Amino acid sequence: MKPMWKALKRHRYAYLFISPYLILFLVFQLVPTVSTIYYSFTEWNGLRPPRWIGWRNYQLMFRDYMFRDAVRNTFLYWIVGTIGIMTLAMGIALALNTKKLRLKHFFKTATFLPYVCASVAMGLIFRMLFEEHVGLVNEIIALFGGERVPWLASSKYAWFPVVTLFIWRLTPWFTMIILSGLLNISEEYYEAALVDGASTWQRFVHITLPLLGNILFFCFITITVDAWRIFNESYVLSGPGTSNTSLFELMYRSAFTNFRLGYGSALGVVLVVILLALSLIQFVVRRRTGEI
Amino acid sequence: MKTVQIETMHAGVQKIAMDHLAGAYKDMPDVIMLDTVGIVNLVDAGLLLDMTEYWEPIAHEFVEGAVADATINGRVWALPDAVRPQLLFYNAEIFEKYDIDPAMMSTFDGYLEAGRLLKERSNGEVYLSYIDTGTYTWRYWGRRGLMPQAHARIWDDDGNVVIGSDHGTKLALGFLEKLYNEGLLYRTTMFSPPMYEAIDEGKIATFYIGAFWDEFMRKNLTKTVGQWRVMNAPVFEEIGTGGAPVSTFFCFVNKGDTAYLDLMVDMWYDFQTNTEERNAWVAEMERVNGPYSNPVALKVLEHPFWQEPSEFYGGQSFRKAEADGLANPSPNLMVTPQDNEADGIISAEIEKWVAGEQTMDQAIANMQRELELRIGRAYVIK
Repeated sequence: MKPMWKALKRHRYAYLFISPYLILFLVFQLVPTVSTIYYSFTEWNGLRPPRWIGWRNYQLMFRDYMFRDAVRNTFLYWIVGTIGIMTLAMGIALALNTKKLRLKHFFKTATFLPYVCASVAMGLIFRMLFEEHVGLVNEIIALFGGERVPWLASSKYAWFPVVTLFIWRLTPWFTMIILSGLLNISEEYYEAALVDGASTWQRFVHITLPLLGNILFFCFITITVDAWRIFNESYVLSGPGTSNTSLFELMYRSAFTNFRLGYGSALGVVLVVILLALSLIQFVVRRRTGEI
Repeated sequence: MKTVQIETMHAGVQKIAMDHLAGAYKDMPDVIMLDTVGIVNLVDAGLLLDMTEYWEPIAHEFVEGAVADATINGRVWALPDAVRPQLLFYNAEIFEKYDIDPAMMSTFDGYLEAGRLLKERSNGEVYLSYIDTGTYTWRYWGRRGLMPQAHARIWDDDGNVVIGSDHGTKLALGFLEKLYNEGLLYRTTMFSPPMYEAIDEGKIATFYIGAFWDEFMRKNLTKTVGQWRVMNAPVFEEIGTGGAPVSTFFCFVNKGDTAYLDLMVDMWYDFQTNTEERNAWVAEMERVNGPYSNPVALKVLEHPFWQEPSEFYGGQSFRKAEADGLANPSPNLMVTPQDNEADGIISAEIEKWVAGEQTMDQAIANMQRELELRIGRAYVIK
């Protein structure tokens, strides 16, 4: 009997217990993923049988300005979103963790509220906030003597409402994660540092940040994945053409609005490759710096 | 047939495509309401039932051309639900206030001139019409409006892309450019509260748009009720044809099981030809500000009910105006299965033009280039 079968037989009960997950994974994740790779080499509208066209979808992608726009926008959402969410979440978590803060439960609940709101509904509200003529944002700008900005009518500014909504929606979740990390740091470290005369900043840099390393890394990975599959925000707050279209949205539009399932599959494959590459880079960097 | 689901036409086509793909034929709807693009796509895939045998004996009971947009290869693939014209809605009080005769808007040159007068006499407070920052500019000003009236073409008869060199396209989109460049169009988002607010404040004087707009006006405007009037769409003098109609159809899905077909066809026929019931239904829809359209059955249209005055239009009969708007129609743009994608490509260029990032000439050149790159040649179903 081959070693694999021997191992299977020896651990049959363990495999039996994990089989429900494995079957679901196989049917709903692995098979569709492999099929997507196959369909990315076809021309297919979902109604007629797919036709093999080789690399043509990928060749088109690299000549397609909509794809370039979508990659550029998603990259922007990733960078600005990560910096914005991490900074705000850290700041709010630190504020919620201070001993002097009263009504902590209220503030924790209030902080978490944006996360439980439906993103499409919030998108529609943000659309009104950023409306050119009567939107609140422009009203405030006008109040201070500024010019009204065509937020969603200009390619130059259309990314801003999208990334603002993205940051606003995700910050609460990451605040809670960072806060849970802060609560796990022993007070003794801070007391010892205080005795040694460390300033607040020094305590933050030399105690808080290193001890939050793994938590922050988790946040970074999760935000990265969320940013590269951003959809609702850019879909609801669409600007001129593809000026603020995300890669995920372009994939959806190609496949389910234009019924070009082959091209949509090719975009999906590229999205997976980008995410894999980013995750790999992050792991390699962390391993080299001895953090993992 | 278990439930009635209300979705957009596009979502309906998407559902049929996904069910077909999954082999879940029983989950497909029995009936779907479609426009020409949806019909072309589903006929191409063999997913609609051929209704020619049923239609031919009753065709004389309906308005001429009722199934023109659902006829492919001489076969009729759907039964008509509505044929709605392109119209010009205008705020009569604004025109009266600034002493401008609305009759001058019977041609596009006159329409432009009316816009200039409005701008001049209101010190820039009143705009001739609107322009949407998203996809609706192409849909309502372009595909369903100026393009067919200018006899413009996206494709030639063989499916080659010709929009970049087409004279009609230059006429249609060039006119839109003129309106926008002269500051006659109020930039806003279609169907949004700020837009309705601007209309009620008297900032927008006209809408060159399909008859469906009536429903949205009635539902959303409060301060300008009774001020609006309707007339036939302006014409390009060098072309001479009026607004192109937009048709919607009842389509019967080819799902292998036709158990409910006769029932559905009977329901459709009754809804279209039962004058008393149809009129009662329309009266109720008008009362609740709901959507309705003129019937396509000649017998129903002859009833005096369809000449009755409408309160929202200051005593003018909207129903009669809708019927009148169908006179001298322009032919619609040729539709191919690739038109969904083509609309996205063309609209993206129009949106960038609205944002002031390119001229209309550049936009048209980019449409040609992108359509050639991404679609190449459209599949023409004749």
